[in-house]
Amino acid sequence: MIDVRNLSKSYRVHKRAPGLGAALRSVLRRKYEVVQAVEDLSFQIAEGERVGFLGPNGAGKTTTLKVLAGLLHPTSGSVRVGSYVPHERDPRFLQLITLVMGQKQQLLWDLPPSETYAMNRAIYDIPRAQADETVRKLVELLEIGDLVDKPTRQLSLGERMKCELVAALLHRPRVLFLDEPTIGLDVSMQAKMRDFIRDYNERFGAAVLLTSHYMDDVVALCPRVVVIDHGHLIYDGNLQELARRVRPDKRMTLRLSRLVDRADLEKLGTVVSADAAQVVLSVPHARLSAVVQSALSALPIVDLTIEEAPLEEVMRELFGAREKEAREASRAHG
Amino acid sequence: MTAAANEVRPRRTGPAALVRRYAGLFRVQLSMSMLTAMQYRADFVVKGLIAVLWMAVTLVPVLVVFGVRKTVAGWTFPESLVVVGWFTLLRAVLEGAVSPSLTAVVEHVRHGTLDFVLLKPADAQFLVSTAKIEPWHLVDVFGSLAIFIYAFSKIGRWPSLLNLGTGVASLGLAIIILYSIWILVVSASFWVIKVDNLSYLFGSLFDAARWPITVFRGALRVVFTFVFPIAILTTYPAMALLGRLDGKTAAAALAGGLAFAAIARRVWRRALALYTSASS
Repeated sequence: MIDVRNLSKSYRVHKRAPGLGAALRSVLRRKYEVVQAVEDLSFQIAEGERVGFLGPNGAGKTTTLKVLAGLLHPTSGSVRVGSYVPHERDPRFLQLITLVMGQKQQLLWDLPPSETYAMNRAIYDIPRAQADETVRKLVELLEIGDLVDKPTRQLSLGERMKCELVAALLHRPRVLFLDEPTIGLDVSMQAKMRDFIRDYNERFGAAVLLTSHYMDDVVALCPRVVVIDHGHLIYDGNLQELARRVRPDKRMTLRLSRLVDRADLEKLGTVVSADAAQVVLSVPHARLSAVVQSALSALPIVDLTIEEAPLEEVMRELFGAREKEAREASRAHG
Repeated sequence: MTAAANEVRPRRTGPAALVRRYAGLFRVQLSMSMLTAMQYRADFVVKGLIAVLWMAVTLVPVLVVFGVRKTVAGWTFPESLVVVGWFTLLRAVLEGAVSPSLTAVVEHVRHGTLDFVLLKPADAQFLVSTAKIEPWHLVDVFGSLAIFIYAFSKIGRWPSLLNLGTGVASLGLAIIILYSIWILVVSASFWVIKVDNLSYLFGSLFDAARWPITVFRGALRVVFTFVFPIAILTTYPAMALLGRLDGKTAAAALAGGLAFAAIARRVWRRALALYTSASS
């Protein structure tokens, strides 16, 4: 469904030092700098797949999504979505996709969302019966029945985002590009949004490519992740596999009936946190069963759980390690 | 809601279907503008009153000049009023239908929401050009009719059907030119982002269209005929109504207008290409 091969995208931005003098000089002689937003990126996404697109700020995620949605021309490399080249903006391609941007909205500010739906129905040339049916279903799934007839300006951020989704999905796209769709939403609203996205994906076999700063979104929705940093692909594959590779340690949480010596805990593994009620240990995967056995025999355990390290930590470690490598490499060259 | 219904509909093709589709789209856009206008009822009344006021102000310079002389550059007072009538009508179109939409494009570019327009399977220029219409400028349209009626009753000779037809046709041409110039101004916003100053300049130049072109001499006449053709905007339509427009001038005006439209379309496409290849 989506085929990205050796995609590169660079911008020419005009650069100047701070201050009035520099500003004046830059009017006369502009200095340009080429910013490499994405470099030699390749990946494929099949129909019906849900893929998380991860990377620190400025890694090139939004740029890639915009290239995929046909809003930006690639500098080099080839991109195909369905059988189309996105930046040619073939109307049939535009019928196939949608792009949701959590930070921007398409709803008409002064009118109720239902009017935006009416307009999109006309623009996408959708038969009225089909559009009405889609709106009815989506509104029901998102539980926004009474909101779509209120002026958009009177809706809360979360309500607006839900109404925004209906506008973006009215033409039943087969490919969803979601850029931070849950930004600024509270936890329960985020959860609802996730359920909705999964539901849509399963019903329509739509491919979903999602970026989010909330790792919970990614864990809940995306079995596969594509990770980029500084425009380069650094990982493409199973999410759990990534967590295991970056953080081979398991997270063991113990609830104890009484306080124990820290030294006893340190015998078992690295202590992440410890207080009267709860101890969190980090234990290498290979030693896990041995550690569990000795913990059960040696400590007054009420409850014991074992989990992967949280994805936030995995990501921090992944990008932190890369930063360090880069610094060391540049020092070696300098 | 089944996956089968998800197939992309085969697109209706052919020019007739295209015209029907865009006529439908225009209707929807227009009704959105009306609904938006109705949202603010007080606004509606106030803006209507302001339109009346502006129309009165438009007449002042003409009244002042003709208070001291009988003719100006070969135009009598009622004949000049015909030019003012066109000017008022054209300003209604400009401020009611052209400017608001295209000013909205500038906002789109600044806020990055132009992306949503570009994601839609319809012509982007059409979508942005029809996005916002301010219905209270209808007041100006009625005002211009009143001016025409007064002027021709003073002249004592009403335009023939042919004159009327040529007049309306030249109004169409004038609208195309006005719109094309606006598109050029808006396209500039892709390069410089803030075009407030350009639109002020545009407004001031447009104000000159209340005078017949023969009022201007030398370089100004050249500029107002070929660069910012107020001659085609108001003088020629007025001459058409007065039965004074010759075929050669009309043909030249038509050619010029179409050239303007073609250039504007090209520049718009260039500007869009720049937007999609450079923005982040």
